[in-house]
Amino acid sequence: MPPTVSIQNVSKLFNPGQANQVLALKEINLDILPGEFVSIIGPSGCGKSTLLRLIGDLTTPSSGAVLVNGKPAHQARLDQDYGMVFQAATLYEWRTVSKNVQLPLELKGIAKTERENRAKEMLALVELAGFENHHPWQLSGGMQQRVAIARALVTGPQLLLMDEPFGALDEMTRERMNQELHHIWEQTNKTAVFITHSIAEAVFLSTRVVVMSVRPGRITQVIDIDLPRHRDVTTREMTRYFELVNQGREALRRAEAGL
Amino acid sequence: MAKQTTDQTGFSDVAAGVDAVIPARKQSWLQYYLPSILIFIFAIVTWELFVRLFSIQEFLLPAPSAIYNSLSLNLNQLLKLGWFTTKEALGGFAIGCSLGILVALATARWTIATEALMPFAIAANSVPILAFAPILNNWFGVDNPVSKMAIVAVIVFFPVMINTVRGLTLVDANALELMASYAANQYDVLFRLRVPNALPYIFNALKVAAALSMIGAIVSEYFGGNRSALGVYITQEAAQFRFANAWAAIILACIVGITLYLIVLTVERFAIPWHPSVRGEER
Ligand SMILES: Nc1ncnc2c1ncn2[C@@H]1O[C@H](COP(=O)(O)OP(=O)(O)OP(=O)(O)O)[C@@H](O)[C@H]1O
Ligand SMILES: [Mg+2]
Repeated sequence: MPPTVSIQNVSKLFNPGQANQVLALKEINLDILPGEFVSIIGPSGCGKSTLLRLIGDLTTPSSGAVLVNGKPAHQARLDQDYGMVFQAATLYEWRTVSKNVQLPLELKGIAKTERENRAKEMLALVELAGFENHHPWQLSGGMQQRVAIARALVTGPQLLLMDEPFGALDEMTRERMNQELHHIWEQTNKTAVFITHSIAEAVFLSTRVVVMSVRPGRITQVIDIDLPRHRDVTTREMTRYFELVNQGREALRRAEAGL
Repeated sequence: MAKQTTDQTGFSDVAAGVDAVIPARKQSWLQYYLPSILIFIFAIVTWELFVRLFSIQEFLLPAPSAIYNSLSLNLNQLLKLGWFTTKEALGGFAIGCSLGILVALATARWTIATEALMPFAIAANSVPILAFAPILNNWFGVDNPVSKMAIVAVIVFFPVMINTVRGLTLVDANALELMASYAANQYDVLFRLRVPNALPYIFNALKVAAALSMIGAIVSEYFGGNRSALGVYITQEAAQFRFANAWAAIILACIVGITLYLIVLTVERFAIPWHPSVRGEER
């Protein structure tokens, strides 16, 4: 089976040849296998979002290649092989919450009743049942981000690309959302690429944690999370969990120091 | 004693405060417009007093009462004239706005053409189009309302077209990326993202166009037109020193212009209730 995501020697240079030229990513190599949950962690500006957008073919590499499901990333996007949660919630303000979640289904030409039912289901999953007819501006930042997650999940994509989806949530909601996301991943055997600033969250959810460093953005360490595949409240009490969180913290410290 | 009372009623003061706030919100419409109404009344009264106290000649400035008398005396005739001109304004508004929106939609489809044509559109927008009124009168015939509609249409076309193009193109980059991530085709991007994004811009342009259309219709009638037109009536009455009549017609034109504007405003509230400019007023 080919890797779900294969990043081969990818570099990304913004504004080449100009005064504000930035080497956002330098020679990144990363293979993500089907069913993996890979978290990316690193200091602000190290190119995490850029890497995710490269996988989604929303930007193109300056050199190197990105394959998704064995195809060029461009083809995978046209085939709608992934669902994406952006760093900003990016809801359309003229649409209600439910209509925002239905958008990807509308684009696929799915009938109205089915769309409504699926949106309702997804909103219940992210604990927003009853908010179907609200407008985005009536929700808090964390609620908006959960709508964006529901929208990414609604088409049931095998590959999930998520850019700090739980950044705006309080600790308790975040833990519940982590549990829910883990549940979805475990049940449906999806592949996930997940950006976060929280080491604890990364360890809890992932099979692997990729640590990146800044200027230029590069991978400095990959930590295998050798916890049992199933995670629940007891996971956070395991000795191994603490060890891994400490290991991640140490790796991040080194990355921030530019080592 | 007074001190004691406040102490004792500390709680009910708070309650009274809350009560005072809630009815105030219910009355907010009146509260909101009251200053404007007062200013309006004040201005009319000052005007009347000014004219009477200084015995201002009518050809300079008739008193509001004189204008009102003329208005009520000639009301039937004025309404007929007003309706004739309003039809010209409405016709031109409809033609100019639909063309403006359609051309903008077409150019959104061919971006390169838009970029090449926009400078010309912006230049054309600053051309004093009313200067062409005599020529259009010649083309369509002075008496023919179509000549006035054509002028109004040309006047409103450019602001509507330019604003619509702006609304179709000034789209949040993230919102576009979301569409790209679903490999949405260009029609979906146009109708599910660009057009809704453009609606507030379009309504702003329509509000400007509503005011412009009445001005355009009347001023183009100053260059000659049908005897049953408001602009022709204003020039004739003024030429014969019946200034109160001219003023009455001008007031009527103002009322029509404001009404057209308010109609667009009302449609806007129903069409884009989600937009901050609309929902902000509801608080
Ligand atoms: N469109 C762009 N044009 C120019 N430079 C860009 C662009 N997008 C990103 N960059 C630069 O690339 C670098 C990486 O940006 P990126 O958004 O990927 O960082 P990040 O790791 O996601 O940061 P954060 O944790 O703050 O979200 C930054 O230095 C940024 O300035
Ligand atoms: Mg980012």
